[in-house]
Amino acid sequence: MMIVSFLSHRLEDQTKKLHKDMKKSTEADLAMSKAAVKISTDLLSNPLCEQDQAFLESMTALDTAMKRMDAFNQEKVNQIQKTVIDPLKKYSGIFPSLNMAVKRREQALQDYKRLQAKVEKYEDKEKTGPIMVKLHQAREELRPVREDFEAKNKQLLDEMPKFYHSRIDYFQPSFEALIRAQVAYFTEMYNIFNDLTEQIDQAGLTDEQREKETEAKLNELRALSIVADD
Amino acid sequence: MEVPPRPQPPTLLLPLDRPMMPDLLHDHTQLDDLFSPEDDDFFVGSDESSDLLDCNSSVLNMSICSQDSFIELKEQSDEVQRKSEEEKSQEIQAQRQNLALQELLESERNYLRMLQLSSGFIRENLLKIQPPLVNVDCLFEHLPEVVSVTSRLLDSVDQDQLQPRDPNFLQNFCNAFLSLSSDMEMAYKEYLSNYNQVTTWEVNCKQKEALWDQVVKVLKSSAPELKASSLSFFLVMPVQRIARYPLLLQTILKHTDPSHPAYALLEKTAHTSVNINCRINEYKRIREFREVANKYKKTETLSIKDMINRLNTHSIFKKTARLSQQIKHETGIVPKLVDEEFDALEGFFYLLEKCILELLENVETYLSHLQAFLSYKTEEFDLYMDAQREAVCYKEITTALRQWILPTFEKRLRALIHKPLCALRDLLVGPRNLIRKRLDKLLDYELIEAKSNLSYEEQAAANTYKTMNTLLLTELPRFNTVSLQLIWRLLGTFSCLHRDLASDMTQLFQTFATQLPHSGMSSSAFWDWAEAAVMEGMRKLQDLCQTVEEALSAPVSMPVHPCWALRYHQLCQKHPQERIFEATCGVVGSRDLDLSLIKGELVAVVSERDSKGDRRRWLVDAGGKRGYAPASKLRQYQAPPAEGPPPPSPQPNRADTKLEGRHLSKSLDRRPSPLSLSPLSPSASPSSPVIPVKPRAPPLSPAMPIFQVVAAYPFTARGHREVSLGAGEPVRVLEPHDKKGNPEWSLVQTQGGQSGYVPSNYLTTVPQMSYLRPYP
Repeated sequence: MMIVSFLSHRLEDQTKKLHKDMKKSTEADLAMSKAAVKISTDLLSNPLCEQDQAFLESMTALDTAMKRMDAFNQEKVNQIQKTVIDPLKKYSGIFPSLNMAVKRREQALQDYKRLQAKVEKYEDKEKTGPIMVKLHQAREELRPVREDFEAKNKQLLDEMPKFYHSRIDYFQPSFEALIRAQVAYFTEMYNIFNDLTEQIDQAGLTDEQREKETEAKLNELRALSIVADD
Repeated sequence: MEVPPRPQPPTLLLPLDRPMMPDLLHDHTQLDDLFSPEDDDFFVGSDESSDLLDCNSSVLNMSICSQDSFIELKEQSDEVQRKSEEEKSQEIQAQRQNLALQELLESERNYLRMLQLSSGFIRENLLKIQPPLVNVDCLFEHLPEVVSVTSRLLDSVDQDQLQPRDPNFLQNFCNAFLSLSSDMEMAYKEYLSNYNQVTTWEVNCKQKEALWDQVVKVLKSSAPELKASSLSFFLVMPVQRIARYPLLLQTILKHTDPSHPAYALLEKTAHTSVNINCRINEYKRIREFREVANKYKKTETLSIKDMINRLNTHSIFKKTARLSQQIKHETGIVPKLVDEEFDALEGFFYLLEKCILELLENVETYLSHLQAFLSYKTEEFDLYMDAQREAVCYKEITTALRQWILPTFEKRLRALIHKPLCALRDLLVGPRNLIRKRLDKLLDYELIEAKSNLSYEEQAAANTYKTMNTLLLTELPRFNTVSLQLIWRLLGTFSCLHRDLASDMTQLFQTFATQLPHSGMSSSAFWDWAEAAVMEGMRKLQDLCQTVEEALSAPVSMPVHPCWALRYHQLCQKHPQERIFEATCGVVGSRDLDLSLIKGELVAVVSERDSKGDRRRWLVDAGGKRGYAPASKLRQYQAPPAEGPPPPSPQPNRADTKLEGRHLSKSLDRRPSPLSLSPLSPSASPSSPVIPVKPRAPPLSPAMPIFQVVAAYPFTARGHREVSLGAGEPVRVLEPHDKKGNPEWSLVQTQGGQSGYVPSNYLTTVPQMSYLRPYP
């Protein structure tokens, strides 16, 4: 019983932590996607875009891509909510009841022990009339308590291991769903951004080349007299 | 740049033989007049030409003879005339070229002389003036280089020791010029860029009359024939000279025959001299712009003290004038000087600024959320299901995502997008300040624009405005364009980074694709299955939960403690059952209206909050007394239910309901042991037995159990007022106190009809049992 209870505690902690992390990371994920959409929306709403037709087309494409990604992200989060976060919460919710049951069993055990001790005390004494009466009374008290305890104990010993073992089957669909949701999302992301990159980016540049190009442009700006050079 | 009015150049012309030589420097068209017949005697020709003329006339004479040969001869003579003319013109040309070349050389020599005079005599003597002149030496700073270049040019010409007439002379000269051209450019560039110091210095110096007189004295003594009256007279010479080279060279070129061997070279030299001038001007302009720009483009962070220190009448006047001009604009009193081109550029710049700042902010938000995402490590859990495939896969995927895929993405994002954006944002400062300053200067300019005669300061202010305006008009378009291109590029990179992220992830998934059981399912089928499975799991969990709760929260059926039976009875009459509570431990009332309770005491809850709304203090009825008791010490009292299966309650139970029946038969067999006769106070009876009983449905009222008082112990009457009781004997309580009101003794009547006093604590209340005859 002790072992089961101990394992149950560990499981409880881990489930709680996983639930919390899942929730928080999903929130951050949503926030990230929204921030990306804001990037493109703000750009598009700036009249700067209207100055150059090609630039406007690029910004529109970027905006469309971001919004689509956000929609997919939302869908992914919804799926995860239903198949992972809710089950996790439910699972965590069992523990209070279980813990309470364990406590009550404990209390029953204490009562049982107490009364048992009382009975034994009377049994050890001389068998006088009053003692016998008391002994009898004590035994009468003891019986229901013992039976109660035994019932509780049995229940728990039956149910808890079952519960503990059930976690594997319980969580299996959740994890698979998690992975599947991400696969779908990233596949979409790849398609969308592949197309977008072809449209608005130069092909085949390495990071060093990009940095060089950026630096060259910045230097060109710095060379102007109107730019402050510190 | 303000160039002081050109002083009359000293006559550097050659003293010529022929007084009627036109001024070559100023009026080239006059050369064309050379063919007018009046200038016959100008022809510095050889005897050849005059011979030709004589020939001509003699031929003419001869032609009188025959008519026929006249035309022929005429033609011949025309031809000869043409030839002679051609030769004449050639000769003239050569003459002119020679003149021009000599002009150049002579002027160069003179120029060098002047330069040497300036950098030597004048400089030394100016330095000797007491009190010492301020900053005079730096005026001469760049002069030595100019001197050296000029002297080198002349040296290389003299070296060859050729005569000007020699065709090679021209060639050598050109070569010398070309080889020195870059040095010349350098020297003159610096000199010219710093020239305006001379003007400023002079203006300042003239204000101090005494000093100025001394300066003039020095100047006059240096070259008396020149009658120089200002220092700039000398120091302006390089400025004039460099501009003159193209003119001089082009004159020579004009008079050089294209068939001359040095023609091409000469052409090149002329072009070079022009280019030198262009480049020097460009350099000067940029330097000027930079000076003005440097003054205004930095954001000054001044403390209030500094700003106050800066205030003086001049600055206050200036700023007030600007403000008033601006107000006039706004109210329409004065028309604004609108420059549409500039306004368009300015508008674009402000849009660009907004774009950059917004973009930077958004990117930073994005990055912060990314970091938050990375911090919640959902892969670090251990549900002790190590072998479970899906969990393992998930862990590995998520670990990869958080350990290297996303960090790479973040790093690239920062390096390729965030950093350049920050740099770009920093570059915005300069133009922004300059645009603002330009507006200030514009306001100043508008005020003085209409004036015809501008003071020196006003001229300077007007020039500053114009310079700034030009500078901004030239450079802002470039700034705007390049910045926009840069932003465009960055956005392209942004897209590329996302694609790379997605590609990394999809590659990662490939390795796990086969391991997942339902990976073959289509998307919709999978989600249906997943949701169903999850629902099923949750339902099972719910069942388990219910089972546990039901089984383990069996109802509590607590027997009434004999002490409180009466109390219970009382309370039940006035309050509903569910409001009956039991004190779980002793309570000591500390405040005015607080009650003190004993452990196990029964009370009825009247209100679950006190008068101030505190939910932890409940108003309870303790059988007559009312007061407050802490809610935490109260527990719902569940009386043994009147009928049927007991309602579930969250209280810890003492006995299972089904077991209670057995007690009933046993309870009557018990015979409580005799206790000491000393009456114990009703409140302290710790050893009174608890009789767990389960009442059957009493005939009278199901909600309220009927109680029967029985004797818990046998009691032997000691006197006639008392009555003997056997244990378990039901009695009827006549009076729960004796004659004096002492509650320790009760007047009871036994079933046998005897009545008398018995100790109250020997009595106990039990719920009525059907096989006990209720005492009538």
